[in-house]
Amino acid sequence: QKLKPLEMATSIETETFKLGFIGAGKMAESIAKGVVKSGILPATRIRTAHKGSNRRDAFSSFGVQLYDTNQQVVEDSDVIIFSVKPQIIGEVVLQLKPLLTEDKLLVSVAAGIPLKYLQNWAGHGRLIRVVPNTPAAVGHAATVISMGESASEKDADLISSLFGAIGKIWRADEKYLDAVTGLSGSGPAYIYLAIDALADGGVAAGLPRDLALGLASQTVLGAASMAINSGKHPGQLKDDVASPGGTTIAGIHELEKGGFRGILMNAVTAAGHRSQMLSNR
Amino acid sequence: MATSSPMSIQTETFKLGFIGAGKMAESIAKGVVKSGILPATRIRTAHKGSNRRDAFSSFGVQLYDTNQQVVEDSDVIIFSVKPQIIGEVVLQLKPLLTEDKLLVSVAAGIPLKYLQNWAGHGRLIRVVPNTPAAVGHAATVISMGESASEKDADLISSLFGAIGKIWRADEKYLDAVTGLSGSGPAYIYLAIDALADGGVAAGLPRDLALGLASQTVLGAASMAINSGKHPGQLKDDVASPGGTTIAGIHELEKGGFRGILMNAVTAAGHRSQMLSNR
Repeated sequence: QKLKPLEMATSIETETFKLGFIGAGKMAESIAKGVVKSGILPATRIRTAHKGSNRRDAFSSFGVQLYDTNQQVVEDSDVIIFSVKPQIIGEVVLQLKPLLTEDKLLVSVAAGIPLKYLQNWAGHGRLIRVVPNTPAAVGHAATVISMGESASEKDADLISSLFGAIGKIWRADEKYLDAVTGLSGSGPAYIYLAIDALADGGVAAGLPRDLALGLASQTVLGAASMAINSGKHPGQLKDDVASPGGTTIAGIHELEKGGFRGILMNAVTAAGHRSQMLSNR
Repeated sequence: MATSSPMSIQTETFKLGFIGAGKMAESIAKGVVKSGILPATRIRTAHKGSNRRDAFSSFGVQLYDTNQQVVEDSDVIIFSVKPQIIGEVVLQLKPLLTEDKLLVSVAAGIPLKYLQNWAGHGRLIRVVPNTPAAVGHAATVISMGESASEKDADLISSLFGAIGKIWRADEKYLDAVTGLSGSGPAYIYLAIDALADGGVAAGLPRDLALGLASQTVLGAASMAINSGKHPGQLKDDVASPGGTTIAGIHELEKGGFRGILMNAVTAAGHRSQMLSNR
């Protein structure tokens, strides 16, 4: 059943809008903290609901308004982020459907839940689907957003600036989101393995563990920062530092001998494929 | 032979000189000025060519014509010339390298005992930074020469702390350090390229894949540094049952991903040892 695009979606007022989180978990907390810290929105214009004191305190401790029910959050919000687990988002949205009028912009961060389902549950297409990743917690997320049928350009800009508070953001067609999940969604784990292995390599070469692990993490951070800020292709950056007969090209040779790059490609495509399978269940 | 009391470098007034006006010197000087540790007016270097002179003078560093002039007007001197020439450079300056001056070498693979011979004293610190110094995120290890004091080490630590993180370690570890943090950025450039290729294989446009790859690596490293958790714990935290992440991890383990990275570090460390021993 195709939804009619909204002719003139009510513009969300950037200076006064209120942001509500349905689901008061870690991702909501990371986003809310990042948004407040960057000054985009004062905490007083953010609200969520939870019954338990742990999660309530986690949010109230930096000024977020706490309600008892999701209904109260929806009634007092203009932009609503659904940050509940994929397994329950359907029932949560359906329960709130009567309150989810089209003047409210809805956002989902639920992994693998397509826009067409969300639009059915919500009753309209003023939706944006967001794939962030866990480094949102340290303000360095890689986030991709996809627009629902009735989400406007201004809606996209607003969500881009919100999620820009916790890292970098890209806009893409929904068809890419399984691959995105395999790369940026799951990617941090591949890098945790790499850091662990670099540290083990350092220890094998004689370093104390603490030093090896500290150097490993910082080296990965520095290299990524170079890749982002230098404006150069990673291959060029590699060329720049691999001097003739030096230590770096000796290390690179081992990586190439082992098929390092192919293995990483395998990880991304396998995770992307798994995302597709989970989405199609 | 330890000196009884090397003259303390005055932290509020000391002048910093660079022998060798290349990229590493520029990164350090820029980082130090940007972080406010030292005003540019207290930094000096020398070069004949206008390109390098402009690179430094453009942010306020004092330019001289000769290394001798730099040494005479500096209290802390960083030797940032290539390993192949550092011996002759230090020997040439030896008469001016009195023990009231703290000497620092960033020359790869050049042991402290050689530097001490060339300089004529042991008030030296050997430094192994890495190229992300250019973006303020270096991983740097320092090793103390025979007569370098604790205060000398603190001063150098704060200087290099302006361009990233710093650790102190015994010189015997520096070949392994070179194999890990010295050469490590290149391993990660390969990883970023491969992650992007994986994204393209999975259907993403190149620009998006490369942008996501770089940012993902940055975010993960930042989590590893700031979360206080072991990387294995961080991995456990995100690998949900039957999910996409464990599917990706499975491919890495099948391929021996970790062992290959260990090989890279040990091979590069070994190469560093061989180069140092030539």
